[in-house]
Amino acid sequence: MDAVEVKNLKRYYKVNKKEAGFAASLLSFVNRKYEETKAVDGISFKIGEGELVGFIGPNGAGKTTTLKCLSGLLYPTGGTVKVLGYTPFERKNNFLKQIALVMGQRNQLWWDLPPTESFILNKEIYEIPDDKYKKTLDALISLLDVSDILKTPVKKLSLGQRMKCEFIASVLHSPRVLFLDEPTLGLDVVMQKTLREFIREYNRKYEATIILTSHYMRDVEALAKRVIIINHGKILFDGKLADLVKKHAPYRFVKVVFSDKVQASEIENFGEIKSFTYPEAVISVPYKKISDVSSEILKKFPVEDVIISEPEIEDIIREVFEEKK
Amino acid sequence: MKKYLLVARNVWDQTLTYRLNFVMWRVRIVLSMLTMYFLWLALLPENQTILGYTRDLMLTYILGTSIISSVVISNRSYEVGDEINNGNLSNFLLRPINYLSYQFSRDLGDKAMNIVFSITELTVLFMILRPPLFVQTDLGLLSLTVFACVLGMVMYFFINFLLGMIGFWSAEVWAPRFIFVTLLTFFSGGLFPLDILPASIFSALSYLPFTYLLFFPLKIYLGQLAAGEIIRGLIISSIWAGVLFLTVKYVWNRGLRLYTAYGR
Repeated sequence: MDAVEVKNLKRYYKVNKKEAGFAASLLSFVNRKYEETKAVDGISFKIGEGELVGFIGPNGAGKTTTLKCLSGLLYPTGGTVKVLGYTPFERKNNFLKQIALVMGQRNQLWWDLPPTESFILNKEIYEIPDDKYKKTLDALISLLDVSDILKTPVKKLSLGQRMKCEFIASVLHSPRVLFLDEPTLGLDVVMQKTLREFIREYNRKYEATIILTSHYMRDVEALAKRVIIINHGKILFDGKLADLVKKHAPYRFVKVVFSDKVQASEIENFGEIKSFTYPEAVISVPYKKISDVSSEILKKFPVEDVIISEPEIEDIIREVFEEKK
Repeated sequence: MKKYLLVARNVWDQTLTYRLNFVMWRVRIVLSMLTMYFLWLALLPENQTILGYTRDLMLTYILGTSIISSVVISNRSYEVGDEINNGNLSNFLLRPINYLSYQFSRDLGDKAMNIVFSITELTVLFMILRPPLFVQTDLGLLSLTVFACVLGMVMYFFINFLLGMIGFWSAEVWAPRFIFVTLLTFFSGGLFPLDILPASIFSALSYLPFTYLLFFPLKIYLGQLAAGEIIRGLIISSIWAGVLFLTVKYVWNRGLRLYTAYGR
């Protein structure tokens, strides 16, 4: 059975628009104009149980809206959504007990009270048995290294510390489906890595289904085999990350460091020259010709170093966005 | 059940976090009660009736409204509108907890706190001032008063929740609430006993829920209602509580479809 099944999902928002300036403010007071924004405009996909999928798109692409529809917060304008066989918007208790939505900018902890109070409340809300609660909590505390801040009121915590506690509160009930919206937002590099490892481990150990959105391509690259790219509410690509690279980046970069003078015109016919500042040249070479080209360069020129690299995933994604405009 | 108990208890934890706020809040309540008391004590001539009320009864009515309103009217569910608009509601929709029950538990927690401290303060004041108040000793009437207060509290909670849900349709929840609360203070008998109004207006009002928030429980306490009137009042307010509950459910379900979970 698929953990997540989305068919032709649509979600539109009504937004009031106003030009800048006082005259426009008055006009808007008397005659308010509304426009419909198509945040999600007919997307379909299926996600199998235990899969970890990366959701990629620029700001305002519709990622968060999709996750909100999947977790039952939003009523879809059209289409059908099934998560673990439930219709999310009905928000049945059995459904809610099996999912979690973690958002980088969300705040579910009691602001005035220490995080522990919020954890205990969640224990009761999700009806977690005592022994299981203790075990899960201890594991999470040591993993995220927060034992020293549990008694401090939430408002006194730093952003990173608060994020860690938010994360703990969100997964205390060991959800089977996890929606992560920018989970590493505002965390330092070390914490990003820890959290990434935690997500991978969580996916592996509990065979949990995870959908992850992130601006940091590193997060997605490190975690997800499959990615769904979305922009303007529509899916642009759905498939393996490796296929995306093959399809949209059928070339490699060859970086050559010469040990002696070489003219640009001499290397022109190997491929497209991306940059050439003596002694360093970067040439974009079609994937299939890569071994021929590199051996020829080595034969013909006085070479100090050769590095062959894949294009950055960010560049590929950007290419996908620009292509479909 | 346990989760809602914990929610109620957390209100205490939260309120007690701000010590100065808490102390000031209590001082304010005692002060406003004392000013009201002394003002009316000076205004009302002894051994005369005013608008059909003796001095003792009038004093009891005035002080009674401020006590009962602190239980019936004081209410935290003004948070509902804000939570809809700032997206905080999402936190509750994502968890297996009923938001209406959640708010109600918070309300009860808040009220329990109010009652515990009010009783302590009132006992002290009563012993110092020995005010000429009317004390009801009939246990039957006392329990009916409490019952009427509970009904009033439930009605007020639903009304307030409904006002908060305006947030689903508009970001402007404060203006309608403000007007409504002003009208409500008048119609619930918070300013003066409603039965000094012309009989036709008063009888029309008796079909609306407002008189049952303050006026009705107080009249039971003062022993000025016949058995038939008490039963009629309790029936009308029970019907209103039911109607309001169904309205809340209906509006909630409609509103959620429009909910946009902004900002989060």
